[in-house]
Amino acid sequence: MKAKTVIKLVIGIVVIGGGIGYFMYQAMQSSWSYYYSVDEFATGSESVKNSSLRLAGKVKAGTVSRDMSKMELVFVLEGINNELPVKYTGVVPDNFAERIEVVVEGRLETSGTFNAEMLMTRCESKYKAKVN
Amino acid sequence: MADLGQFSLILALFLSSYAILADIAGAWCLDSGLLRSGRNAMVCCLLCLSVAMTILWIQLIRCDFSVRYVAEHTSLDLLLSYRISALWAGAAGSLLLWLWLQTGMLITVFFSTQSAKRSFCAHARVIANLVAVFFLLVLVLDKDPFTLSEVIPRDGAGLNPLLQHPAMVLHPPLLLVGYAAFAVPFAWAFACFKSNTEVREPPFVRAARNWALTAWIFLTVGIVLGAWWAYEELGWGGYWAWDPVENSSLMPWLVATAMLHSFRIFTPKTRIVIWTEILCLLTFSLCIFGTFLTRYGLVSSVHAFPDPGKGILFVILLIHIWVLSGFLIVKRFWRRKDQPSFSHPRAQEIFVWNNWLFLLLTFVIFVGTLFPFLSGLVSKRQITLKPEYFTKITSPGGLVLVLFIGLCPYLWQHGFKKSVRFILAGLVIVICAILWFMFKQLAPLFFVVSGLLLLNLVMDIIILARTGKINWRAYGARIVHLGVALIFIGIAGSGGYDVERQISMMPGQQEQLGGYNLVYESLGADHGPNFTAMWAAVSVYDQSDKLVAQLKPAKAVYSAGGKAVSEVDIRRTLGSDVYLALMDVDIASKMINLRAMVKPLINWIWIGSTLMVMGAGIVILNLVVSRK
Repeated sequence: MKAKTVIKLVIGIVVIGGGIGYFMYQAMQSSWSYYYSVDEFATGSESVKNSSLRLAGKVKAGTVSRDMSKMELVFVLEGINNELPVKYTGVVPDNFAERIEVVVEGRLETSGTFNAEMLMTRCESKYKAKVN
Repeated sequence: MADLGQFSLILALFLSSYAILADIAGAWCLDSGLLRSGRNAMVCCLLCLSVAMTILWIQLIRCDFSVRYVAEHTSLDLLLSYRISALWAGAAGSLLLWLWLQTGMLITVFFSTQSAKRSFCAHARVIANLVAVFFLLVLVLDKDPFTLSEVIPRDGAGLNPLLQHPAMVLHPPLLLVGYAAFAVPFAWAFACFKSNTEVREPPFVRAARNWALTAWIFLTVGIVLGAWWAYEELGWGGYWAWDPVENSSLMPWLVATAMLHSFRIFTPKTRIVIWTEILCLLTFSLCIFGTFLTRYGLVSSVHAFPDPGKGILFVILLIHIWVLSGFLIVKRFWRRKDQPSFSHPRAQEIFVWNNWLFLLLTFVIFVGTLFPFLSGLVSKRQITLKPEYFTKITSPGGLVLVLFIGLCPYLWQHGFKKSVRFILAGLVIVICAILWFMFKQLAPLFFVVSGLLLLNLVMDIIILARTGKINWRAYGARIVHLGVALIFIGIAGSGGYDVERQISMMPGQQEQLGGYNLVYESLGADHGPNFTAMWAAVSVYDQSDKLVAQLKPAKAVYSAGGKAVSEVDIRRTLGSDVYLALMDVDIASKMINLRAMVKPLINWIWIGSTLMVMGAGIVILNLVVSRK
């Protein structure tokens, strides 16, 4: 390869790579959220509690209540040793039920309630019908 | 019977291992006896797989719950069609079907032991059997479809009611046919690495290209069906969530698209050759990697739970493939260093740029999908990326792609010269910049750029028609690209201008939604054989207070397991969809919770996808018929 081609190649790679890298960094910054289980979260440090979080846990039996006029769903997310009250406004997935694994995404309020913007249920296995 | 199934899987494992040895030895000392034996072993392997698959199918149809796979995926009240489709409802069955299809396809292409082609075929078979050995190891050691139940249940677990939908029956096998067919170009590429370029057989290039296009068509249909099902059934109103499972089928699709474009300009003894071969390798690797990712939960997804096991075998297989081919590529470069004929025509540069764009998009999606895993390596905390990450990057990427598609075919044939097209393109770029500063939104830019693409396609078609000859391939390609333009218009419209509300309503109440007025009329119930459905009648009025539709979104509760499934109701027009999903019902007060959406232009996604598949279908038919 000639020196000129090499220079062209290097400049090209730097420009394109830098551009893509910058784009990716920008997009990542605004969209990342930490992933915890309820137990990890409860024992975690204060600093992360302010950022956008994804929490995984189980819906505790007997704690689910819905307020239909406000479209609010309240339940307790439980881990092995810890629990966390969750408030969620929005669409509840069809397979939401007690005792199933869910992932919530949102922020912790000062009251200690987790305000979820997103609620995902995980199908135990994609194709199995009964959860128990 | 399960024993026979298991035995045939183990036998298949031995046969494919033997086939590898026989083919390597045969190709080494050019012994036709050994080569024939290797090939016959592969045919026998296919027979064994057929036996195993037939047995599994019989057991599924007969609801033989003594086999765990059957108990987990069927139940007595399941329709026959769903029992048949239960074959690909789980990981074990899907892998078996994939391997069976793949082995069958590879045998039809690389069957020959004629002296001119024999070593090429042998090398292709070696790598194919290597893949088969790993798949069979996973099947035998980990995901054995013939494992017996510890306790024979009275009834099976059945199929999730959400998945009892024709689109979901077809979606997995279509993807699997696609993945399996990508094994043909993959084996071809590997054999090319091994052989000297001089003996690269034109018929094999044709076969690889045709199978790649076929695979691409199947994968496209599979992906679109999955998206359509999500829109129709899941009640969340979207069609694509950038979930790892979805991404793992999109990544091979993107690379395969790049691969098809480089097959288009495939000319022996140019740089394009090695480029195409690497893309073939990459496509199939991504298929395997996607399966590993989703079936073994390297990254936890909404779809399935992490289930670490022998999945590491897939990684070992990928390492094998890349180390082997890396070695062969370097060796070939070493040998051909003195040959100067390694440049390619200037016009083809454009195709390479297009390929790079596809690869970059794939890379970005790859990083995003693996991000939780990668971040887990660096720090103790896993970090997940929200779907915004993907949309933020793929939208400008898509915009550039559409611009490319509009210009490249012309550039390729005519090069840079004064033409109304470039003036138009320049104009479009200026308009895009202005629109961006006005709206700070990408959606209107997509309309303009897609418009440019449509205009270019129309001009192309006029030029084609003027020549008087019917060039099916050129027409087919234009139709595919027409589909792409429509899909982008649909994505931009439904993503950029959608209106969404979550409303709580009492009977008689009125609510505004976009330009529509929703009136909740009444609540009713239907009783089916195994479900009870509550439905809400909602009238939709347009701005001039004309009744445009009466929708009945429903929520069905299935007696088995008490599962509730929302049945959305949609008023479809080419302009926009009114999409209603019933989220919750309070029977006493008749209060309902609705998720109501207006999705502009969304139907153009489905129309565009259909055109894309039709166009590609025309091309492949023409290629097969004309034997070009």
